[in-house]
Amino acid sequence: MIRNDTAVLIVDDEPGMCWALGHILKGSGIVSVAATTGQEALRLAVRQRFHLAFVDAKLPDAEGLDLARRIREANPGIRIVLISGYFYGDDPEVLQAAVAGVINGFVSKPFLHDEVRTIARAALAP
Amino acid sequence: MDMADRRGSRATTGHGAGETERYEKLYAMLLDAIPSSVLLIDAQLHVVSANRNFLEKARRAESDTLGQRIDAVFPPLILDHMDLARRVRNAFEHGEPTRGERMTYRAPGLTTRIYYYSLIPFAWQGTVEHVMLLLEDVTEQVRLGEEARRAERHLASVVETASDLVLSTDVDGQILTWNAATERVSGYTRDEARGRLFSEHCSAPHRALVKQEFARAKSGREFGTAEWDLVTKPGALVPVAWVGSAMKDDVGRVVAIVVVGRDLTERRKLEAQLLQSQKLAALGVLAGGIAHEIRNPLAISSSAAQFLLADSDDPEFRRECAEKVQAGIQRASVIIENLLRFARPGARTDMEPVDLVSAVRDATALVVNQARVQQINMVVELPPDPVRVTGVPSMLQQVFMNLLLNAVNAMPGGGLLRVGVEQVGPEGQVRISDTGHGIPAGEMGKVFDPFYTTRPVGQGTGLGLSICYSVVKQHFGAIEVESVEGQGSTFTVRLPLL
Repeated sequence: MIRNDTAVLIVDDEPGMCWALGHILKGSGIVSVAATTGQEALRLAVRQRFHLAFVDAKLPDAEGLDLARRIREANPGIRIVLISGYFYGDDPEVLQAAVAGVINGFVSKPFLHDEVRTIARAALAP
Repeated sequence: MDMADRRGSRATTGHGAGETERYEKLYAMLLDAIPSSVLLIDAQLHVVSANRNFLEKARRAESDTLGQRIDAVFPPLILDHMDLARRVRNAFEHGEPTRGERMTYRAPGLTTRIYYYSLIPFAWQGTVEHVMLLLEDVTEQVRLGEEARRAERHLASVVETASDLVLSTDVDGQILTWNAATERVSGYTRDEARGRLFSEHCSAPHRALVKQEFARAKSGREFGTAEWDLVTKPGALVPVAWVGSAMKDDVGRVVAIVVVGRDLTERRKLEAQLLQSQKLAALGVLAGGIAHEIRNPLAISSSAAQFLLADSDDPEFRRECAEKVQAGIQRASVIIENLLRFARPGARTDMEPVDLVSAVRDATALVVNQARVQQINMVVELPPDPVRVTGVPSMLQQVFMNLLLNAVNAMPGGGLLRVGVEQVGPEGQVRISDTGHGIPAGEMGKVFDPFYTTRPVGQGTGLGLSICYSVVKQHFGAIEVESVEGQGSTFTVRLPLL
């Protein structure tokens, strides 16, 4: 069961990435909102409650991991998935962030749509 | 002759007073004043007159000299050596003089002396009355002459055996001398080179500058240093670093120009290797940014392809997906192309026309990814028209890449990286400024030194800026740095326009 009233936050400076993630989620009936900067993402996170966020590791105005911390402050209980073409899943920085609870998952670019769907379903399951 | 006669007559006849006495006194004075030994010898080989110089040199008194036979006055060695008795007799019998003979004599316990001597018969009314012996001590002159020749030979062999190219020209740049190293490197013998203009031996693109430098040197100004290619006899180009200086005479007028050159072939080879290893090191730095930058379009293409596979019915969406696939692949291949172009060793090291605008654009395209992952805002201001200089494209790109990467490295916490290309007077200028940690005032003089680095061991070779410096110098340009510690640095590369 998926709560389709809840939105997912997508943060990536690459409009094409926001387009792809948005369409994948939309195909599963999940509503999402996209931000292309860290600042925009924070503004949204303060205004609205999200259950899940896909955050790009490298943004023009922020480091993905810093942004994840701040989104979590504004939105406790949110599940955050770091998505990156820069890091690998076994990068010490990523592993450390996962252990510290800064992020709840990691997806490396390019990815399979099923991977994103599985994460979204798990995060949004009631 | 006259004076000898008068002098001689003093010892023999002692005639009249008045005029004769007056002349006697005058000539005696003259004889005593000259710095050579003068003796008069009669037919019986007796000394009838000896001047002061002789008496002093021989350490004899006039009293035990005058009236003595020559073998009582001269040591046997000298007599034998000069063959004096025979020569004196010859002079008496045949009126035959002996002129300008050289004699080396070493008295026991004394240093060797060298004399020139002449024997000149004095005839009066057809009869030889006396023979005048003139002895001149030339030991000092000979010694000085030999010393000068030795010094000259030494200097000549220093120049000749120098491994650097050493040549001299007249004030108009016409070759006068040319050492062995210059012969070896150029393939021209000194005789072939002599009289030709130095500028004719330089590669065509450098000739105007060469002439300019010689004109400066002629007018007494500093010649300076320059790197001009030497054209060899078979027509090859040899890179040479030249230092010239004006040779001036005692009144400060320029009389010749001396040029010393160092063959840079080996150094260039090393620099090329260094440049290549620098490139590989730079690629390591760039790899993160490039991976990030390539995987974005790959991810978009991959997603679009997956949407197409999922078989959507919406033709508009299918079209959108196909376009995303295409655009993503295009983007990734542009990045790869830039990377390859940079990584490939510079096949050509010849100078050719280079557009600074596109060279800087290519370099920034490679660095922009790295800047993005470090939250560095990049502002690139390029003029619409090309700014053309002469250069080796791969080397110039390496200079800009090194400067850009330094700027990026100076801003680990993000910042502003400004890149500008401008045409200023006769020069093309590339300006790269960062808002990073800057350079402490005390370190400013060292930043272009090889192996100067502030980065931890293993993270910087300290060669980047020294390579920039050397490459820019080879392009007849200049590189400058302005910096305020804690506020950032600006590097300016200035190159003469084509």
